Amino acid sequence: MKEVKLFLGPQHPGMHGNYSVHMYVDGDMINKARPTPGFLHRGFEKVMERRLWMGNLALIPRICVVEPDINEMVYAMGIEALSGIEVPERAHWIRMMVLELGRLAIHMMGLGGIGGPTGMYTATYWGIAQRDLILDLFEKLTGARIYHMYIVPGGVRKDLPENFLEDVLKVVDDLEKKLPEFEQLILKHPIIHARIKDNIMLPAEVVWELGVTGIGMRSATGVQNDLRKVKPYARYDQVEFDVPTGTYSDGLSRMNIKYAEMFQSIRIIRQIIEKMPKSGPVRAKMSTGSALRWTVPAGMVYTAVESSRGEYGYFIVSDGGEYPYRIAVRGASFAQGLLGIEKYLPGHRIDDASLWMDTMGVCSPEIDR
Amino acid sequence: MDNKIKSMFSPIRAWKYLMRTPVTIAKKDIFVNPREASERYRGFHQNDMTKCIGCGTCSEICPTAAINLVPVEGIVHEDGKLDERPAFDYGRCSFCGLCVDICTSDSLNMSKEYLHLSIDADSFYFMPDSSGIHKTSAKVGYTRDEISELLDLVRQEMQHEDESRRSSFIEIVKGYAALDAKNEAARCVACGICTNTCPANMHIPEYIRAVFDEDLKEGIRQIYKTNPLANVCGRICTHKCETVCAIGHRGEPVAIRWLKRYIVDNADATDYNDAAQESVTAPVNGKVAVVGSGPAGLSCAYYLRTLGYEVVVFESQALPGGVIRYGGPQYRLPEESVLKDIGVIENAGVTFKCSTKVGVDITLDELRDSFDAVFLGTGFSLSRPLKIPGYDHEDVQYAIPFLAQTRDYIREIGPMPDVAEKVTVIGGGNVAFDVARTLIRLQEIKYGKSFVQMASLEDSEHLPADLEELEEGLEEGLHGYFAYGPMAVKVEDGKIKGLEVKKVLSIFDEEGRFNPSYDEHDVKLLESSQVYMAIGQMPEYAYFNDEMRDELLTKRGQIAVTDGGQVESYPWLFAGGDIVRGPDIINGVATGHDSAKAIDNYLQSKK
Amino acid sequence: MTNSMNSYKEHFQKLLNVEIKDSPADMQLIIDVNSDKFHQTLIALRTDGFRQLSILTCIDWIELNKFQLVAILMNWDTGMHLLVRTLLDRDNPDFHTITSIYPGAIYYEREIFEFFGVHFKGNPTYDKPLFLERWDAMPPLRKDFDPQAYSDSKFPKREHPHVFKAQVVEEIK
Repeated sequence: MKEVKLFLGPQHPGMHGNYSVHMYVDGDMINKARPTPGFLHRGFEKVMERRLWMGNLALIPRICVVEPDINEMVYAMGIEALSGIEVPERAHWIRMMVLELGRLAIHMMGLGGIGGPTGMYTATYWGIAQRDLILDLFEKLTGARIYHMYIVPGGVRKDLPENFLEDVLKVVDDLEKKLPEFEQLILKHPIIHARIKDNIMLPAEVVWELGVTGIGMRSATGVQNDLRKVKPYARYDQVEFDVPTGTYSDGLSRMNIKYAEMFQSIRIIRQIIEKMPKSGPVRAKMSTGSALRWTVPAGMVYTAVESSRGEYGYFIVSDGGEYPYRIAVRGASFAQGLLGIEKYLPGHRIDDASLWMDTMGVCSPEIDR
Repeated sequence: MDNKIKSMFSPIRAWKYLMRTPVTIAKKDIFVNPREASERYRGFHQNDMTKCIGCGTCSEICPTAAINLVPVEGIVHEDGKLDERPAFDYGRCSFCGLCVDICTSDSLNMSKEYLHLSIDADSFYFMPDSSGIHKTSAKVGYTRDEISELLDLVRQEMQHEDESRRSSFIEIVKGYAALDAKNEAARCVACGICTNTCPANMHIPEYIRAVFDEDLKEGIRQIYKTNPLANVCGRICTHKCETVCAIGHRGEPVAIRWLKRYIVDNADATDYNDAAQESVTAPVNGKVAVVGSGPAGLSCAYYLRTLGYEVVVFESQALPGGVIRYGGPQYRLPEESVLKDIGVIENAGVTFKCSTKVGVDITLDELRDSFDAVFLGTGFSLSRPLKIPGYDHEDVQYAIPFLAQTRDYIREIGPMPDVAEKVTVIGGGNVAFDVARTLIRLQEIKYGKSFVQMASLEDSEHLPADLEELEEGLEEGLHGYFAYGPMAVKVEDGKIKGLEVKKVLSIFDEEGRFNPSYDEHDVKLLESSQVYMAIGQMPEYAYFNDEMRDELLTKRGQIAVTDGGQVESYPWLFAGGDIVRGPDIINGVATGHDSAKAIDNYLQSKK
Repeated sequence: MTNSMNSYKEHFQKLLNVEIKDSPADMQLIIDVNSDKFHQTLIALRTDGFRQLSILTCIDWIELNKFQLVAILMNWDTGMHLLVRTLLDRDNPDFHTITSIYPGAIYYEREIFEFFGVHFKGNPTYDKPLFLERWDAMPPLRKDFDPQAYSDSKFPKREHPHVFKAQVVEEIK
């Protein structure tokens, strides 16, 4: 039969952003796949070189819309390492709370998002609604729902508002109560099983070959390769949590791990509320003078955090001036989003393509900065 | 993991969501009953126009170039403010709030207002005032607090000599070390309000930037564009720039004067000379005489040289410099600084004729005949007497000759002034403090102890002197009688017994005229065997003939001039400094520079 | 610098026989190698447990007239990150692909070619357009590329109106 060329995207094909896969199909079998990013290129790395260290704060969360805080965190960690700043204790705990709330928000979206490519939109509506309650928290804390610009070099931008911890508890309690409904609706649903169980596999050898990290890696290797455990930042070494893993990575097991991780995040948030210092400073000054003349000592450093999709890092180079000399972004899904699609999508059906992107967590804006 | 549900119909459980409160907002409520944003919401901006100083720092920090400073129609210019206000382009704004965090004047906030719909794209570009985008007085949202602060409100500490300083004339302020200077320079937001206020319009943000960049040669270059007395002004300028500094609205102003001093003290000598002489050329344009070598005369002479004129400066004293050589005390203005500034001007090729008093040794008419133009910068060289009973006693001394004599003594070319063990100073200005603190030092040297009293009409909070003078003076052991008016110098057996003072109730009467009233029951005798008068200075115009004196002098003893210091009826004659604008060194520098440009214009137009 | 970091340093010094530099971050070291030793260093490190290439990227040191390639490797067992760096001639930026060592580098190499102009021999696709389709200027992450000038040459400048009032248009409701 004759091969047909089909384009997946660049419109949102089940929430994958402005990203396209050119598929050469025979019937509904994919023979060849070519990832085509570039529809979303905003020149972040160049723009960052032309913004003040502080000015970049407005820019970096925009690299990943659904999980912006990781950008602020790695950026802040990099500057703190280069400048040798001690972050106040309370700020570490607040940061950790922001990051875990962010993880809950994106997992909520990811879990619901599977409704897109599988046609079960109820899941999407539920997920987005539940995520919105977390965004309400962010609005209270940071003044914005999506682009928080809250984790800053040296600490956080403002102290917690009044009664914030109670609000957080309310939201996570409610979420924990509702999560089993999601499990019933999505993870145990026969149609979803039919679509993602024993499908879109990711064997351990492929993980190493591509350089996949995060849930993809943990679901295949069975090892707790989570930066929060392996290389704890903030105060992850002072909270207890498990890292769910698996040794058989199909779409369903990855979704199950995502689901299990949410309970761990809730567990972490509860511990944060209990253990964090009740008062104290939350920000150390990044440099002397006014923010227009803040500098970072010359040097280079790579900092990484565990995002919902794996190792997310910034490689920051400073020449000692008021602007970064170079910042390179390691998008967590660069590996599976490009080489993974090219090499391992062939052999699947057309409608598996967006399932691949969804369960692997391919985030186009971080590939295509 | 085989935990799937067998029934296809299990999703029916989702129907219970029909009973739950929705997370979403009904469309009709978006406008009619909008949800109120959180307390910290970063919505549209609000700018309190009465507070905003137009410094443009918001625009500088803006990562998206969304803020433009634009002129506002009908705005009345105020000193310390610029005439532009920020307008926001919401097509670019990222609502990050950095502008709020860095606002120097505390005028900018964000509101809880987040809704603006329009088919006109231009309506997303607007200049906010405190009433918000739709003039509905939206509630305040995101504001700055001390945690989100992006300015540095605290000055780098300046090291001072300790109390033992009062027994010597060693300079009190030690000056910044390199790191302190850089850190202080980092506080500047380069708004340029200081430049507008400085009488000499010095390129302040530029030379502060040079300190930050550790490029002191550039710093010298920027300073010499408008001020050839950098060493002097770096020490004793009245720093009006710091009074209006944008950082001063919420914190301590940038130490502009000390940064200038840092540049001139630390620049490499060769760099210094190269930068200062950069625009000096061989004389080609003509000859100008400058009368008086104080700040105005020196400034005028230097800039005339950079414009290509041959300049001769006439000075009545033995050494050039005027007030900076014979006035300001050593502990504030060391001789080396003066020498350095005058040295640059001499190197530029200016000729000094000292011990030559115009009006005595050479007449103004002779100068007119042998030069193309004449600049007068003769300053206030006489002390003003206070004619109270006993003022004509020989032990009543005056500030200007006393300070001059002291400087000659420290230069080791004159005798030590005859200072008594107990003295009283009349006055409350900077000069009075100069006299009093000089007296303390001389007494310490001569007697090993000091006793200096000061009587001023003003109370300690309204002294005309700088606050630091008062603080340091008291530290050094000055006895202040503030708000005590001098009544009489009491003389017994031909010797001064002391100064009689009365408590001042008010200085000005109801009509605002100078007319002090006293508490008759609070009279004191400040015992002392000398009284020093430091209540003001006045000019001396011996070089004018009667006709010129009648024609040129205003009521206050100053010369009336047009722009650039030109005398209308004698176009070859220019004047600047104290005799035009009253005593202030930076005014002297500014008028000298202006006159140099005006003389150039005048002589060029004559050709 | 903790004791464990010192022993790591000694370990790599012995393994690679090159100088190891401290990084400002914990559990991170910097290794500078000549460009001809780059591949063998990566191979030795991969065998040593650095199974993951976190990122391969480049810096333009225009004043030195050099490009600096940086491969950031990760060892998941220890949590160690290594920054392996090498300098390339900026006028003649040729290099050999590292895809035989880390296959995942294939797209990083394409990215570096696109943004810096470094050639990777042995990678058959390195010069295929990836992000910047129909790009018509120099590689944009080079320091001498001026995005403002490029943008000004491509797009008309927008003039701001001097109207500073905003009004909601009622009909939209």
